Amino acid sequence: MSRWLRFALAITLGIISGLVYGWRVNPVKYVETTLDSLRVDYKTDYVLMVAEAYSAEANLDTAVRRLALLGGDTPQESVNQAILFAERQGYTDADVNTMRKLLGDLQLYHPAVEGTAP
Amino acid sequence: MRETRGPWYLLTGLALGALLGLGYAWLLQPVRYTDTTPASLRADFKDRYRALIASAYQANDNLVRAKARLALLEDPDVYRALAEQAQRTLAGGGDLEEARALGLLAVALGPAPPTLAPSPSGSPAAPSPTGDITATQTVTAPLSLNPAASLTLATTPVASPDQTSPAAALVTPLPTFTPLPTRTPTPTPGAPFVLRIQEQICDPDLEEALIQVQAFDASGGPVPGVEVIVSWEAGEDHFFTGLKPELGLGYADFSMAPLTSYTLRLAKGGQPIAGLTAPECEMEGGERYWGAWLLVFEQP
Repeated sequence: MSRWLRFALAITLGIISGLVYGWRVNPVKYVETTLDSLRVDYKTDYVLMVAEAYSAEANLDTAVRRLALLGGDTPQESVNQAILFAERQGYTDADVNTMRKLLGDLQLYHPAVEGTAP
Repeated sequence: MRETRGPWYLLTGLALGALLGLGYAWLLQPVRYTDTTPASLRADFKDRYRALIASAYQANDNLVRAKARLALLEDPDVYRALAEQAQRTLAGGGDLEEARALGLLAVALGPAPPTLAPSPSGSPAAPSPTGDITATQTVTAPLSLNPAASLTLATTPVASPDQTSPAAALVTPLPTFTPLPTRTPTPTPGAPFVLRIQEQICDPDLEEALIQVQAFDASGGPVPGVEVIVSWEAGEDHFFTGLKPELGLGYADFSMAPLTSYTLRLAKGGQPIAGLTAPECEMEGGERYWGAWLLVFEQP
């Protein structure tokens, strides 16, 4: 086996070792993640909590601010995704309806208009 | 002439390859945690999450669900985390309602601690909210992904004397939980509180001058969640009973600055107590220190 071939094999072995170490043994640890990286079921539960709180507080500004942390395109989109997931996974009707109520109110929500209203 | 070289080139290649591999694994294509759990959230996001759990609990009064959600954050001491966050929120001038929700959830979860000044009759011990539920799970669909979170999607918890962790059950706490007997963490509605006791306390163990407030209902039970307003010439502060459950569910305190006169009243009404200044106490050896005011309110 030529010297260059052995050299290439050594590099390959080193790469594999590095990948195993970097991906398996000591991977990058995300210990300080943000809400937008949550798994879909946790996100759905988060939206459900927002909807539950909204049902008592009736404060859309607060609900929108909470939903914004999920990082979706819009709060409506976050709630809509949560409802779809909840329906697929068989959440109770009460929970789904709580989120639907929030979605319905969000669709009528115009913060700019509300902000400038006298 | 034949040049003889050792195996160093192989080691060089190995090291070079390892560097390339690590660079690729750590920089170019690191492990991506896109499906994270609440436990991995940054501290400030955990605070948001915790506050939202408390707000949702205020809305649905479902303690089992709140406990399951709190378990996801994996706080070493859930009850302390809630109480401390409530106090941080108050101290930082945050949302009072949020602080109250956090405090009330802490009270609902916490063990019933002894009070500083036990009332004569006391309240009957509330059934512990912990350990009373078993989530009988009806798996309707796999939740997939992470085996660590292979949770169920439709749970039908039923009351049972032997209990397992509710956290085992839900990420999606859907259930139609049977309401459990829990301590009622809301202030007892009814007549406004009346000041029953106002006295100076000289306790060298106190590290600072305090206004200590105790709130009791008509039956002598401590009342958490009572909002107390303290005002002085330069400002005003709000705090709630029950945020230091280890000192009593109806207990709250406020640190006084020496030589400042404070007026205290309960947000729900009642007489204001004016002229509260840090009392000066003296030890046997003549050493002086600041004492405290104890104000005991009771609903008639």
